[in-house]
Amino acid sequence: MLTYAVRRLLWLVPTLLAMALVTFLVMHATPGSPLDPVAEGANPLSPEAQKHLAAEYGLDRPLPEQFAIFVAKAVRGDFGRSFVYKTRTVREILASALPVSLMLGSMALAVALVGGLTLGVLAAVHHNRTWDYLSVSLATFGVAVPNFVLAVFLIVLFSFVVPLFPTGGWDSPRAWVLPTLTLALGPMGVIARFTRASMLEVIRADFTLTARAKGLGEAPVIFKHALKNASLPVVTLLGPMFAALGTGSFFVEAIFRVPGMGRFFVESMTGRDYPMIMGVVLTYGAFLAVMNLLVDLLYGVLDPRIRY
Amino acid sequence: MPTRPTTLWRDAARRLVRNRLAAAGGVVVLTLALVAVFADLLAPYPYTKTNFGRLAEGPSAAYPLGTDQLGRDLLSRMIHGARVSMLVGLGAQLIVVAIGVPIGALSGYVGGRVDLLLTRFVDVMYAFPRLLFVILVMSMLGAGLTNIFIAIGLTGWVGIARQTRAQVLALKEREFVAGARALGAGLGRILGRHILPNALTPIVVAVTFGIPEAIFTEAALSFIGVGINPPTPSWGQMVGEGQAYLRSAWHLCVFPSIAIAITMLAFTFLGDGLRDALDPKLK
Amino acid sequence: MMRPPIPDAQFDLLASRLAAIGQSRRDFLRVAAGLAALGAAGFNVRPASAAPRPAPGEKLAAEQHFRYGGGGFFQHDPSSHDFNKDLYCNGVPALFAGLMKFNADHQPVLYVAEKVTPNADGSVWTFQIRKDSRWSDGSPCTARDFEWSWKRQLDPATAAPYASFLYDIKNAEAFNKKQVTDPGQVGVRARNDWTLEVTLEGPRGYFPVLAAYLAALPAHRPSVEKHGDRWTEAANIVCNGPFVLETWEHNRVMVLRKNKHFFGARDVTLEKVTIPIIPVASGSLPYENNEVYLSPLQPADLRRLQGDPKTQKEVFRYPFPGTWYLIPQVTRPPFDDVRVRRAVAHAIDRENIVRVAQGFAVPAHSMIPPGFPGALDDPKIRALQRFDPKLALAQLKGTPYEGGRNWPKITLSMRDEALGAKPLAEAVQAVLLEHLNMKTELEVLEPRVFRERLWKQEHQFVWIRWFMDYPDPHNEYFDTFYGKKTTGKRQAWTNEAFDREVEAGRDTREPKKRLEHYRRAEEILQTDVGYIPVAWVVRYAAAKPWVRGLQKNRQGETVIDGNIYVDMLPHLYLVERT
Repeated sequence: MLTYAVRRLLWLVPTLLAMALVTFLVMHATPGSPLDPVAEGANPLSPEAQKHLAAEYGLDRPLPEQFAIFVAKAVRGDFGRSFVYKTRTVREILASALPVSLMLGSMALAVALVGGLTLGVLAAVHHNRTWDYLSVSLATFGVAVPNFVLAVFLIVLFSFVVPLFPTGGWDSPRAWVLPTLTLALGPMGVIARFTRASMLEVIRADFTLTARAKGLGEAPVIFKHALKNASLPVVTLLGPMFAALGTGSFFVEAIFRVPGMGRFFVESMTGRDYPMIMGVVLTYGAFLAVMNLLVDLLYGVLDPRIRY
Repeated sequence: MPTRPTTLWRDAARRLVRNRLAAAGGVVVLTLALVAVFADLLAPYPYTKTNFGRLAEGPSAAYPLGTDQLGRDLLSRMIHGARVSMLVGLGAQLIVVAIGVPIGALSGYVGGRVDLLLTRFVDVMYAFPRLLFVILVMSMLGAGLTNIFIAIGLTGWVGIARQTRAQVLALKEREFVAGARALGAGLGRILGRHILPNALTPIVVAVTFGIPEAIFTEAALSFIGVGINPPTPSWGQMVGEGQAYLRSAWHLCVFPSIAIAITMLAFTFLGDGLRDALDPKLK
Repeated sequence: MMRPPIPDAQFDLLASRLAAIGQSRRDFLRVAAGLAALGAAGFNVRPASAAPRPAPGEKLAAEQHFRYGGGGFFQHDPSSHDFNKDLYCNGVPALFAGLMKFNADHQPVLYVAEKVTPNADGSVWTFQIRKDSRWSDGSPCTARDFEWSWKRQLDPATAAPYASFLYDIKNAEAFNKKQVTDPGQVGVRARNDWTLEVTLEGPRGYFPVLAAYLAALPAHRPSVEKHGDRWTEAANIVCNGPFVLETWEHNRVMVLRKNKHFFGARDVTLEKVTIPIIPVASGSLPYENNEVYLSPLQPADLRRLQGDPKTQKEVFRYPFPGTWYLIPQVTRPPFDDVRVRRAVAHAIDRENIVRVAQGFAVPAHSMIPPGFPGALDDPKIRALQRFDPKLALAQLKGTPYEGGRNWPKITLSMRDEALGAKPLAEAVQAVLLEHLNMKTELEVLEPRVFRERLWKQEHQFVWIRWFMDYPDPHNEYFDTFYGKKTTGKRQAWTNEAFDREVEAGRDTREPKKRLEHYRRAEEILQTDVGYIPVAWVVRYAAAKPWVRGLQKNRQGETVIDGNIYVDMLPHLYLVERT
């Protein structure tokens, strides 16, 4: 298993390289220039100023050379300086934004896991009865309501009708509650749905029936046998889910003013902030790859039939 | 034995109809599809017809769901929005399934070098942050419905490929597959007749979730300005634009949200029913 | 001391100077018209008014902690506070003090300079600097600091994007373009610690205007030399304005503290200012929840706040003259046919269209909003685009589109922005469909993509706005529609007769005749339908009742920080909440 893990990590290198290349090419093929001023509604810079800027950014070199320079620096963890936030490097920006998103994402995932597993198990155990319908409805609500609507709904409810939490910010634990809930509801629905689906399957499976036949009580059957086996598809979900939650959601972070990484998924692109785009893509890619590796390893632990 | 597939599907259909919730889900999905097709006949007003005297008004006799910021009938716009949303939801999922399932199944079942290669490819595609990549692709292609299909399809299939692979990996060690193999069944037969029907659960579930996700991705794109061009309405876009008005004109955002939620529920129940109906262990 | 007012030739120089710096040049030029009124000195010699004292009955709040933002203010983290390097850094201007500043009427007034003396022809300007001018670390902020800062901006090694702003200074352009390598030859020199002498390329009566603008703010040399581009981080920054940057948590919040070393500290009442970074998507939620005390408003919130008895008195309109209009691209069918363009002009139901802007627009019949020089209320011009669906359809007679048939695919392009831009565009689409059966697709483009295609005149049909920069018709006609412009031209439409009128307007001194030229220009522009006016911009903000000291301009309108006037914070004070 260790060799497997090491091999997977080694594979990360060409994966990231391929991602970098794809992003680099698509990014340069997109209309809109990074030499356009950042300020809204501005006229183009004079040709000389553009030349200055292009030289400063290194955009005056041929594309292959630019890519080579990027890779050479990126290997040392240097993604360059943001075109938009000029006082900081991409690394510094990500270093301050990622932990915020990570924290928000972890809290949201924890809420989603606890809520989702509970709902899913309840639904499966009470298949086609009230609890089932209730939890399926709740789970569906979570997935079906877009988080930017949910966010405003929660703000109106908990900042104005019942003034418990601020409308946004990240200064105190009180400010964490609403974004966490908003972010958690969707994944909770997904987890609940998957748990319910695979629980149902497992409950009907032979080994569960055997366990029952052996005279085990309902609770041990569900928790020891069924849930363990039913969690397999859920585990597959967790890696990418955490990568998505942990690197921030654009809408939730924008509405609740969370100083996380989510905004850069959109803003780096609209600002044609090349170093930032590369930084965001690669950070996300690396993060996701590690998450997936962990998931696959966990998979092996949970299901001994899988060999590496 | 040669007649089994037909019986399987016929059985499934019968069981599906008997499952009330699934049947209800199916009816809703069918209705939505019909609404999408016959939107022009069903809508009380043209979706572009404005009434500047009645902007963002709540529900009334003339406008059962109220009017939008331009005084257009919200109901008519939602009926037409069904078309775009169903197209985006189904169309994108079609692309997703068409690419994702074969790759995942092949990768999981064949294993070895093929698996390695495909997994690497999937890993690269998978590792892109979805929203950023969709925006990147849309910025390159330009706004429009077809481009939304392409952008969502291109970035969405990897999830299902991974799901399928994981499922196939687990299933191929099972006794009944080993049995089929021992009987000399070919790759296509084992995958298509034995493994995929059993791996269907997560795929169906993933698809039922993929549909609203595609609808929302479209909404997010419209929100950022690279989505569907007005005046063509889509639910996602309506929700996105109505969001700012939630406190002054709630209906703008609530009704399309309900439409999305109902669609989602319908697909969920239908998907569940399908799963149950297709499950060979349940007779 | 009596010299003639600034000659027109110099205004043209100013215009070309500003042409180089893009959008701000327009915002900036707003002041130019005011210059003539200021006479020979080129600036308002009355010193800036001290901070207003509480009116009778007002009781100063114990805690002078002001919070503002949202609704478009600081919606993104600033890219820096280094105005000296990039005047568009979106930083907090109140951190710095320039030689001069703009008052609420956009006139330059003295600030760090206590006296400004030009030579006889206005080609050499001497700034006497206040002896109590200090950096926030207590060290003196002298003429040498300004000399160094301006040369830093001009130094090609700095690569300041808008360095051309200072090209009026002798040898500045040559130095910036590496034709002169010795900074000693650049015409800015500290004669001693308190006297800055600026030698220009020639007579420039408007130089005080340049000296008052953001681009002329100083930078703290030791900090820049020690920290490079990071010198404006909260931990490093040393500044000379009314406030200092206490903390800057990126993408989160900035906290300013009153600068006790600021020479005007006595007149600054606020002790602490908190500026959270709030995206537009949050609307007025933070304001209503008392998380900020002053905020511009967006259309979705205005009516609700105005309708609520608790908040209606807090809402006020602030000046932001601008015009929404359509550009039918005359090089692209169907708009290559003037009859089609006329049909469109008559089909625009302005009264109804503006309703969708929820108060953020009023119907427009020409470029210049009412109340500004050159505004027209001419029945003849109104008739040119009077809303009349029958007349509109009649225009199509004889064209391939007669009866509203056979339209080609028409794409209306706009850039993505807030403030009701999109609903307005959709309303335009709706009336064109209703009255001309003209189906259009609205293409909402990313700003960068939109602009790239705009300058190449690639759009077929454009929904766009012009924000007035300075109250003079020259800005509304020359800077927008003049056919001989080589850069920044928005439309392919050109018209010899129009150009002649605009040139005549520029070259005429007699005000009545001048305005008549512009009236004729507008008439030609609308007869040939080079553009179609739709709506004038209106803007609103809200301030809590305990926020006092907002300044008013001569028209009696409350002003808030914008592009030119950035002097709001030092005037504010908070009273006890009741």
